[in-house]
Amino acid sequence: MKLRFERRPLISMTLGTLLLLGIVAWPHPAALAAQSAAAAAPTPIHASALQIQLIQAEDVKLPAEFQMAMYEHVVEEVDKTHRFQHVYRDGDRDAAGAPDLVTLKCTVTGFKQGSAEKRQVTTVTGKTSVNVHLVFTDKNGQKLFENNVEGKVQFLGENLRATFDFGKKVAAVVRQDFAPAKPTRKA
Amino acid sequence: MAKRTRTVLLSALLLTAALAALSPFAEAQEKATTDFKVKHVIGLQAIQHNTKGQATVSKDALTFTSGPTKSDVAIRGIEDVQTGADSQRIIGGTLGTLTMFAPYGSGRFLSLFREKIDTLTIEYRDTNGGLHGAIFTLPQGQAAVLKAQLVAAGAKASPVPAQEATKK
Repeated sequence: MKLRFERRPLISMTLGTLLLLGIVAWPHPAALAAQSAAAAAPTPIHASALQIQLIQAEDVKLPAEFQMAMYEHVVEEVDKTHRFQHVYRDGDRDAAGAPDLVTLKCTVTGFKQGSAEKRQVTTVTGKTSVNVHLVFTDKNGQKLFENNVEGKVQFLGENLRATFDFGKKVAAVVRQDFAPAKPTRKA
Repeated sequence: MAKRTRTVLLSALLLTAALAALSPFAEAQEKATTDFKVKHVIGLQAIQHNTKGQATVSKDALTFTSGPTKSDVAIRGIEDVQTGADSQRIIGGTLGTLTMFAPYGSGRFLSLFREKIDTLTIEYRDTNGGLHGAIFTLPQGQAAVLKAQLVAAGAKASPVPAQEATKK
């Protein structure tokens, strides 16, 4: 009888520990979702070179300074990702020699020029935004994938800051979909 | 005859003196129109963003100088020059950002003080054919002058849009 009373807390403690371990070891729904997303996500693309074409704005009236600032920021930010051994500019003759060249074409689909003054005074109005459709193609012109990106400035900064935000977001897309560049051999 | 020769010599001397006296003014005037105080926003090789400096147009190149650093854009490589208009806070930079946190909305009040500026966008190709875009900001009214000098030096520029032309 005495022995029975001593066993009870032992059994409940064991059961409690097992239950706790079960809860901890049970896969969390978020972790499951992340695992399935990782399984569904395409494998990163390997390419040694990327050529960035000049930003196109056929149906949208885009000021020249925005067009060139977007282009320059994309070149700079994509280069910083270290996903390619070479990032070529539009028209660069050396790009033709790259065996697995990927080309990035950016087309502006929407542009709203806000006001830095309104942003700084009211905080909630005067947003500047630029919407761009990105298309990545291989050397044969086959589409690899496409994406939509919005560059914006909502609080601090002048209107051109939206172009910097755009460059950062394109770099994030590149970082996500391309494998890191293989280190170059030293001569 | 001697009197006439003396008069001619005197007038020639006076003319030379007048030209010599005027030449520093002419040089200064020429210098004033070829040096522009600009801010390099983005696009020049080896120059950091938002660097203030001087832009000079010579026969072969547009040169941006900021202290010891210098960057050249070959005139023959320039494919387009475009001007635009914008505005910026009078108190800018880090101090400008800090004023945003000033008490009683005084930072917002300071944001109302803005100055109009011109923008100058230059599209150019490097020796490999790679496209670059350099953007500068200048005091109001200066961009058109700099553009005219670049075009006169041989840079290509797209035709002035009708709206821009009517403003002038």
